[in-house]
Amino acid sequence: MPMKKWLPTLLALSLIVGFLGVYIGSVSLSPSEVTASVVYGVKSALSEVFSFINPGERPKAFIIVWELRLPRVLLAYLVGLSLASAGVASQALFRNPLADPYIIGVSAGAGIGAALGAIYAPAHMGTFALISAVLSVLVVYTVSRVDGHVPVDTLLLAGIAYGFLASAVTWYLIISQGEKAHITWMWLMGTFNGSSWGDVGEMFIVALLGVGFLVWKWRELNLILFGEESIALGLDVHLYRKLFIGAIALLTAFAVSTAGIIGFIGLVSPHIMRLLLGPNHRSLTPASALFGGVLLVFADLLARTVAKPTELPVGIITALMGAPFFLYLLMKHKRGELYS
Amino acid sequence: MKALEVKVSFAYGEKEVLRGVEFTAERGELLAIIGPNGAGKSTLLKCLVGILRPRGHVIFDGRNLLELKPKDRAKLITYVPQSSFPEFAFTIEEFVELGTYATRGDVTEALKRVGLWERRREQITALSGGEYQLALIARALAQGSEVVLLDEPTSHLDINHALEIMELLKEMSRERLVIAVLHDLNLALRYADRLILLKDGEKYWEGKPENLKPETIEEVYGVKAKIAEVDGHRVILPELAKV
Repeated sequence: MPMKKWLPTLLALSLIVGFLGVYIGSVSLSPSEVTASVVYGVKSALSEVFSFINPGERPKAFIIVWELRLPRVLLAYLVGLSLASAGVASQALFRNPLADPYIIGVSAGAGIGAALGAIYAPAHMGTFALISAVLSVLVVYTVSRVDGHVPVDTLLLAGIAYGFLASAVTWYLIISQGEKAHITWMWLMGTFNGSSWGDVGEMFIVALLGVGFLVWKWRELNLILFGEESIALGLDVHLYRKLFIGAIALLTAFAVSTAGIIGFIGLVSPHIMRLLLGPNHRSLTPASALFGGVLLVFADLLARTVAKPTELPVGIITALMGAPFFLYLLMKHKRGELYS
Repeated sequence: MKALEVKVSFAYGEKEVLRGVEFTAERGELLAIIGPNGAGKSTLLKCLVGILRPRGHVIFDGRNLLELKPKDRAKLITYVPQSSFPEFAFTIEEFVELGTYATRGDVTEALKRVGLWERRREQITALSGGEYQLALIARALAQGSEVVLLDEPTSHLDINHALEIMELLKEMSRERLVIAVLHDLNLALRYADRLILLKDGEKYWEGKPENLKPETIEEVYGVKAKIAEVDGHRVILPELAKV
């Protein structure tokens, strides 16, 4: 029974967790302080373009709200959107409910890059991770190519095998870092600490392109579930496999390079939405994306508040929340029904 | 010139599966492809519809289908795969709508034609084998292509549903070309306008059902067979004893 009003529901949820994310933190703020700071921030940004706008006096909470919490919440939301929609696309592409967006080598590659970055250029770990993630996808993709086509089973196996290889290298690099190993560790577990408006802007463009493409191509995602057979229905299956691999790689590589390896969002969000809405990507892709954003903002809120003043890596929270929930789903629904 | 002119060869790596299989067909025909397991029947269909890339040509109304883009080809020819268990819980309507990707065809009419209109909001995963086969055929009908290929549309079905499917195919073939791989020789004899008999990747025999001789069946399948006539239908009675 498809849920009818998924779009307004998910948009309302997004606003609620967004507000909570900005409102709650180590320093307590009142709703009016939050609102005043946001208004001031928007006005001062506009005043740089339109000189007649006067932002007025700067509220006390402005730095906390505008420079720390707001970019952090927005970045978490954008990364959640990206990971969840990449998850939907991976599951359709591999025709496998357990396909994770990282399976094509992104996270494994990012690990090597981050570990190398921690050794040689700690300030640029994200860039190292991004380059290494993209190179890894290219390796996995090239290995899997047969006569210009990419059989998904081979891609899956190549991704898994490459993952083992890459994590062996990453482990070696981490061990060889000695006492500084925790920098790589913390990075790999994922965090939105220190998010900037620059990160938000970059991720916004990536999500707009990647998520937008996947939402737009809902018919093609429906058809690709049927594999080669979809050629008879008119899908250029070989072309769309490449395009979807490209979109998944773009979204996950940037998500990982900005926030570390955050697990389970790409798996859990599409599954919950599939149970509620069914397998039609017309609503499944946008709904999973929005819900992924909601989940990650919420997880980040927990990450910085449950163990105050210590901040936990958000990857730990998503795994702690996601894994038991996933097990519950597995027990509740028979295996055959899970993808349905 | 016939509507469809085919000559294809295909190899999986070194292994030649189809060797210069050549035939022509016309709109309004129900053509049955028969032959023993491994003769290349399914491979032939996949070559015709472009899932596999054969050598040779598949010319329909003067255009080589093998050179068209999938979307343009799907407007002319479609394929109903061998029915397996449906994996994804699309509703019947959503499932049939998948056929309209290349063509924007008529989903409502297709659903009514196979008798699934009333049940369109049900999930395909809840359908029986025969009903799922009907949904697959409706998807092809919604696509509106002039050539419809079907891979063993009656396998796994009881006699009642098998006959229902064959009647539907016969009716469909009035306005288009229907080519079906069939294992059941008696259904092929009864419904097909013409038979193409494949053996070891080659066309062994081609002709009207009434011209099929017991010796041909023996040569291709390796079983002795009698052909009897019951109420005006020719019926094949195979004998277990090996030749």
